[in-house]
Amino acid sequence: MKLLTHNMLTSHVKGVTKGYPLLIKATEVKVNEVDFNPQFVSRMIPKLEWSALIQAADELGQRQDLPGELVPEYEKNEDFLKKVHRVLLEVEVIEGCLQCPESGREFPISKGIPNMLLNEDES
Amino acid sequence: MSDVRSEERAVRYYCTAGNGMEVFLMEEVKRKLAAEDVCRMPGKVLFSSSVEIHRVSELKTAERLFLLLKEDSPLKLSAHTSPAKATSLLHSRLLHDRNQWTCAVMTWFRLQGELADSKTTLKNPSAAQGVTMREEEDIKGNGAWVKFTTELSKSTEHQKEDKRRSEEPESGKHNGTHTLGKKRKREEEERNSEGMDPQVEKNAEESEKSSEVRTAMTEGLSSCGKNGSHGSDKGLLCSCTKLQHRVEGNRMDDTAALENVKTTEEEERINWKGCWRDPQLPSCISFRISCKCTGSLSRCLTSQEVSRVIGVGLSKLLGWKVDLKNPTVEINVNLSDDHCLLGIPLTRLPLANRTYIKTTGLRSTVAWAMASLVQIQPGFCVVDPMCGVGTILIEAARENEAVCFLGMDIDEGQLLKAGQNVSFAGLENRIHLLRASSLALPLAASSVNAVICDLPFGRKFSTRADMAASLPLILTEMERVLRPGGVLVLLLSPQLSCLLKKLLMHEDSGPSSHKEAEPQTGKQRCPSPSASPTKQQSSQIHPEIKSKPARAPEPQTELQPTASSLKHQATFRVSLGAIDGLIHKYVKTGS
Repeated sequence: MKLLTHNMLTSHVKGVTKGYPLLIKATEVKVNEVDFNPQFVSRMIPKLEWSALIQAADELGQRQDLPGELVPEYEKNEDFLKKVHRVLLEVEVIEGCLQCPESGREFPISKGIPNMLLNEDES
Repeated sequence: MSDVRSEERAVRYYCTAGNGMEVFLMEEVKRKLAAEDVCRMPGKVLFSSSVEIHRVSELKTAERLFLLLKEDSPLKLSAHTSPAKATSLLHSRLLHDRNQWTCAVMTWFRLQGELADSKTTLKNPSAAQGVTMREEEDIKGNGAWVKFTTELSKSTEHQKEDKRRSEEPESGKHNGTHTLGKKRKREEEERNSEGMDPQVEKNAEESEKSSEVRTAMTEGLSSCGKNGSHGSDKGLLCSCTKLQHRVEGNRMDDTAALENVKTTEEEERINWKGCWRDPQLPSCISFRISCKCTGSLSRCLTSQEVSRVIGVGLSKLLGWKVDLKNPTVEINVNLSDDHCLLGIPLTRLPLANRTYIKTTGLRSTVAWAMASLVQIQPGFCVVDPMCGVGTILIEAARENEAVCFLGMDIDEGQLLKAGQNVSFAGLENRIHLLRASSLALPLAASSVNAVICDLPFGRKFSTRADMAASLPLILTEMERVLRPGGVLVLLLSPQLSCLLKKLLMHEDSGPSSHKEAEPQTGKQRCPSPSASPTKQQSSQIHPEIKSKPARAPEPQTELQPTASSLKHQATFRVSLGAIDGLIHKYVKTGS
């Protein structure tokens, strides 16, 4: 699971009102070098929940020196885009789990794929 | 000959397409290839374009690509037409213009060369190794090109030789073809050993590198063109006749073609004069006719008979050789009461075969068409909540770089294959996979720009019974995660399509706003294509719903207020092989 995916996922357990962002408990993290596409990154940034991305990167020890607030005119800042690219696409949680911040429900991540299935009584 | 590669010259093509895919193909050729004179007939789209052939060969909604050879008004025969009359009609309609045939085959050779070039030079650096390997296989498959080049170098030689021989007082036409053949062969060997024709040798040496081959071919052609035009008319005509003999010698067993020597000699003198100046074709082209014949003609002659008539006629007309197993060119003939269409396939494998997909799921052409309906913009987030092996996502992601795709599936095995497909296609950055149920999407409300989904029909999966019951809830979830203005594109079985229309019927009160794609769209509401009157439809739909005991009607009433923001845009009926599927497009309204 890449942090771009994590940024979109919410806990959808019945009764939970604030299921975002999910906490990451990683047991295996991989960093793969991936072709840098500045257009992709700058197009994705406005869609992101920035604080959730920073929090996730922090949890995995991959924050680098990314600021807590999104910098203005990031489109032109290649150095910044490269760091975001790394966090979004190169860092990957292979094994571990995601935890709902409200209910504590854990969603396992196995072979890089998060399992967000709920039991019948949860949905 | 210098402009033989000119890219500005428009080429007329046609593509075959699955039923219902013609509209998408027309749209695609107009948009990607700046195609002109686009017209359609059932299962086919005809168009002219001057863009490079490799771009034409990258069409996504087409099945197979053909160079158009001839497009004519249909042959309509009266009920009393005799087979002999029909045969002579075929001759006069299809085989009168040899220039048309030779020009088409010249163009075909040129395009084959350009296609081979683009395949060797265009290597996708990010592509997985397997892709490269498959592309190479395909080049081998298109080996006709190399074969042609070799043949061409021989024939250039023959033409020169024949020309030289024609200057001898007595032409060889009264000699037995055998003697001629032997003599020719001997001479050929002599000359080869002497190395008299550097151009030819150069051709042979370089025949492995197709790009250079093409240059050589162009040179070769221009050189024989010069020979032709510089030669005296008389000598030229003789040489043509002798060329004909040589071809005959190659297939002594073909009696029909042997007649040719006598019957066509006079015609040769007339016909060759006109066309010789322009296309210089190798005389050793072999061909096969693939004929599809329907309507009035088929009551008179079978497709096989038509094939034979055209095949024999073509041998006579041009001296080409019939080869059913491994021909240089395949001539596709489509004759019906509605059209008369002849073409030559440009690729060995159908365009619909995707080299970048490892495990196929949904038909890739249909998957692509669904994605094209979304009109994806950079920065979009697109979700397929039942992605299966990921075909739709891959087709969409290949054409949209700055877009994030999320694929979900409930089945671990499917996700595993999807993951392999995504990495095989080198799209891990853009396509992200997770396991989730379409009944409970782990996404926030109004968070995605588009949802595309092929709802399982129950043919491949065992979820058929559940699907009808689950549809309202699935729809609610999709509608929830979509942003206002977001697009929903669904592929459904005819049954589910009916159910969906029923669910959202009150919203469809304004039929004027519907962009009905097909004139037969009205039929789409029927579960069976045979039932047509509108009044029957509702009575047919009802048992469908009632047969799912009490489950379907219940969520239906719940659903109505929640799904009301989905506004129907268009419906397309497409063939999925054994069954038809319906593509629905909705846009989420509201703020």
